[in-house]
Amino acid sequence: MTDDKLDLPQGTLDLLILKSLSLEPQHGWAISERIHQVSRATLQIPQGSLYPALHRLERRGWIKAEWGASDNNRKAKYYELTRTGRKQLDAETDAWQRLTTAVSLVLDMG
Amino acid sequence: MLSELWSDLRYRLRAIVRRDRVEQELDDELRFHVERETDKLVRAGLSPNEAQRRARIAFGGVDRTKEEARDARGTMLFESILQDTRYAVRGLRAKPGFTAGIVLTLALGIGANAAMFGIVDRMLFRAPTYLHDAEHTHRVYLASTSAGHENVSAWTSFARYADLLRWTHAFSSIATFATWRIAVGDGDAARVTPVAGVSASYFDFFDAQPPLGRFFVAREDSVPTGSPVVVLSYAYWQLEFGGRADVLGKQVRIGHTLCTIIGVAPERFVGIDDEAVPAMYIPITTFLWDARSIDYSKNYGWQGRLLIARRRPQFTVAQATADLTTAFQRSWIAGNERNPARAVPVATARPRAMLGPVQLERGPLAGPEAKVVAWVSGVAAIVLLIACANVANLLLARAATRRREIALRLALGVSRGRLIRQLVTESLVLALLGGAVGLAVAQWGGAVIRALFLPNDVATSIFTDVRSLIVTLLVTMAAAMITGLAPALQAVRSDLARSLNAAGRDAGGRASRLRTGLLVFQATFSVVLLVGAGLFVRSLLNVHKLRLGYDVRPVLVVTDNPRGMKLTTAERSALDARLVDAARATPGVESATPVSSVPFWGYEEPYLFVSGVDSVSWRGDFVLQAGNPDYFKTMGTRIVRGRAFDAHDRADAPRVVIVSQGMASFLWPAEDAMGKCIRIGVDTAPCTTVVGVAEDLHMRALQGQKEYTYYVPIAQYTSAPGTLLVRVKGDAADYIEPVRRRLQHEMPGAAYVTAEPFQNMVDTKTQSWRFGATMFVAFGALALALAGIGLYSMIAYGVAQRRREIGVRIALGASSSNIVRLVVRGGLRLVVLGVVLGGVISLWAGKWIATLLFDETPTDPVIYASVAAILVGVSLLATAMPALGASRVDPNVALRAD
Repeated sequence: MTDDKLDLPQGTLDLLILKSLSLEPQHGWAISERIHQVSRATLQIPQGSLYPALHRLERRGWIKAEWGASDNNRKAKYYELTRTGRKQLDAETDAWQRLTTAVSLVLDMG
Repeated sequence: MLSELWSDLRYRLRAIVRRDRVEQELDDELRFHVERETDKLVRAGLSPNEAQRRARIAFGGVDRTKEEARDARGTMLFESILQDTRYAVRGLRAKPGFTAGIVLTLALGIGANAAMFGIVDRMLFRAPTYLHDAEHTHRVYLASTSAGHENVSAWTSFARYADLLRWTHAFSSIATFATWRIAVGDGDAARVTPVAGVSASYFDFFDAQPPLGRFFVAREDSVPTGSPVVVLSYAYWQLEFGGRADVLGKQVRIGHTLCTIIGVAPERFVGIDDEAVPAMYIPITTFLWDARSIDYSKNYGWQGRLLIARRRPQFTVAQATADLTTAFQRSWIAGNERNPARAVPVATARPRAMLGPVQLERGPLAGPEAKVVAWVSGVAAIVLLIACANVANLLLARAATRRREIALRLALGVSRGRLIRQLVTESLVLALLGGAVGLAVAQWGGAVIRALFLPNDVATSIFTDVRSLIVTLLVTMAAAMITGLAPALQAVRSDLARSLNAAGRDAGGRASRLRTGLLVFQATFSVVLLVGAGLFVRSLLNVHKLRLGYDVRPVLVVTDNPRGMKLTTAERSALDARLVDAARATPGVESATPVSSVPFWGYEEPYLFVSGVDSVSWRGDFVLQAGNPDYFKTMGTRIVRGRAFDAHDRADAPRVVIVSQGMASFLWPAEDAMGKCIRIGVDTAPCTTVVGVAEDLHMRALQGQKEYTYYVPIAQYTSAPGTLLVRVKGDAADYIEPVRRRLQHEMPGAAYVTAEPFQNMVDTKTQSWRFGATMFVAFGALALALAGIGLYSMIAYGVAQRRREIGVRIALGASSSNIVRLVVRGGLRLVVLGVVLGGVISLWAGKWIATLLFDETPTDPVIYASVAAILVGVSLLATAMPALGASRVDPNVALRAD
């Protein structure tokens, strides 16, 4: 069960959170569910890191939080990307892609 | 970037300010997560209980997550500080007596330093308020050499000022000024008021804008008469005119000149207040014309003007000094040409100029006051150290009783750093409280010191003075560090297992050694301060014992001011005679005399010619005193040989003179002075014959100066001096008003008299010893009291710790006196060590203050012996109480205690 799961490289959690919030505002549980599903169950976000990460991003002003009713009518804290957050997402996506391309190139070496 | 910072700040602020709310939200958020996970698992077919269990496991440690989320908020440090502070405050409130004692101790230490800083800052460091470009502004000193001795002066003549202004180019501006007490107002409303005469350039030295009207300009400050205009000080404007705007254009009589008010100086503007805080400013030319109504523009002899100059930045101090010296030499030659009879060649007089800081007390003429104040500040710092040692000692004692608590917390995993921070927070809270109370102490103590020793000073509030507040805060922080670090380090260094087991019973070991060291330190420096106090008190006593050559307490100095009434010398003499008669008729008055000189205040020094002695006047200070037949009775000066003046010494009688003993032996070392001839003023003057010798007296200084006095009958004196000495029965201060009122009746027109106790003039000369004695005694007593309390608390604590041991000793047959001796000996050993160390330090430091003492050697054995006795006495007192308590320990109770 643990074999097909990967540890997240340092710093990627923030990128994943920003990406999953780029479509619509979501609460913490939904973020972890979405990443889990989209990554085809490869990425399991440790709950212990998710919430500190959300608070850190909020402090930096990249996301903002608002309390709202969830689909089953319970009070939930929804996070939403801010304008600086969106810029940050673009910058980090770009950096990530350049990094992976570069790493692939090196790995593909004859 | 900026928006990120802003968002960060807002976030953290909210986390701090709405802490409970944020915590609640975190709870809700995490609970919601677990509930959703449970729902999901229930839908997948698990039982609700099992689902909840799994959801919780999946989530992991809730508390750790919370802690990390809090960390992510970035407010941990702040919160722990807040928590430490709350903890400290709670702990201190639980022991109000202990807390109050410490706060008061620190308040006295901090307050003493804040007050002394205020005075030192005022005297030595702070540039005068509003002074602009202090770096390039200098005080000008002029020096010349006579009889191999260089005389440096800050005072000079208007003629010299005009020359320097004309012949220098290294300065963008030079200003001259003087402050005198002269009559302001008319009739009964006339009051003697400090009035400054300043050149128009004076105001350019300050960044001051008049809140009302304007300052005067060069055109109004013209030789010789000036313009009758006046600028009021802010305080005088408020006091006399209620701060009304319509004062402009009103007229005020200053001296005998009617001046028009043209402006008001800004609040707190005092210019360069060397002599007094001026109530108003008039052009220096107006000022001088009012005083003498002569053309003073070429008069190099009429001195008394001060100088400041602003150096152009492109000139170094050395270049500017050279420029000024060249101009001064040229001016010296001009002075010689003006007065060939008294000309001294430049090669002999070697005139030179010097530039110094604006404050007189930092220049070559600094009096002993500045040095004594600097010493007393050092003393204040030592008092603070002693206070800190006391507080550290108390905290150490308490830390010892808290050893179990601290060990327990260390065992439970509280980090040592955190524990140190918490203990230091506690001292910080104590020090801040001490600092706050200390400010009040400083405000009150500073006011007392100023009232006693700096009567010219402007009242200031320490609470609004930024420099004093910053220094107080720094001193407070230092006190917190000094008092907090020792207990904290000691606490965390303790051995866990031993502390937990021993229940803090053993008083031995390192802690006790630290406390012993602190106590020896206190005793040592108490000795140093008390020795200093002793030296200054003895100096002051010596000053008081010094025979000045006259009596001070029963003498009143009366000055009459004709105020523009043009009186001939004869009319003036007649007025003086009437005033003497009126004074004699006043109840309580014994005698009165007109005089030409008043010791420490004003002197008449004409040239002297004695056949057989070359250039007499260059060999010392010869002061001429004139008086009536009652003179010697009035002053209490004794006639040693020959006779005093009598009614036969009239204007037409043979001219007679009485000389002081020192003068007689100086002029005629091998001969009898009686019958010798002295010519006064010029060498062609008729002979005055010596008919008596009077005891020596101090005219200008209390110490080491060659000064001689000679006396002529007032009837044979060439002018009418306008000053009277009046001797009363008892204390002159009680007769100021009766005498003044009686004499005022005799004054014609707007003229008036002022009366001042002679004591005031003498006091200015003894000020430094009075200040040193008062402050050293106050601080020495404070240090002694603190050391005594420290010793008492340490011995009492030691006795409490050793109850069991003492109980065992008593059970084994020790008598009460054995126990008392045991306890007292422990304390006394420390004090004796302190006395020895303090004695050695005092002997070493003594040589530095030797010059500030009066007829007193810094190694005076009487003082050392008394201080040692005082310290041993106080320590016996401090140990006796706990020792007696110890001797009454009941072994049955002590041994069963635990």
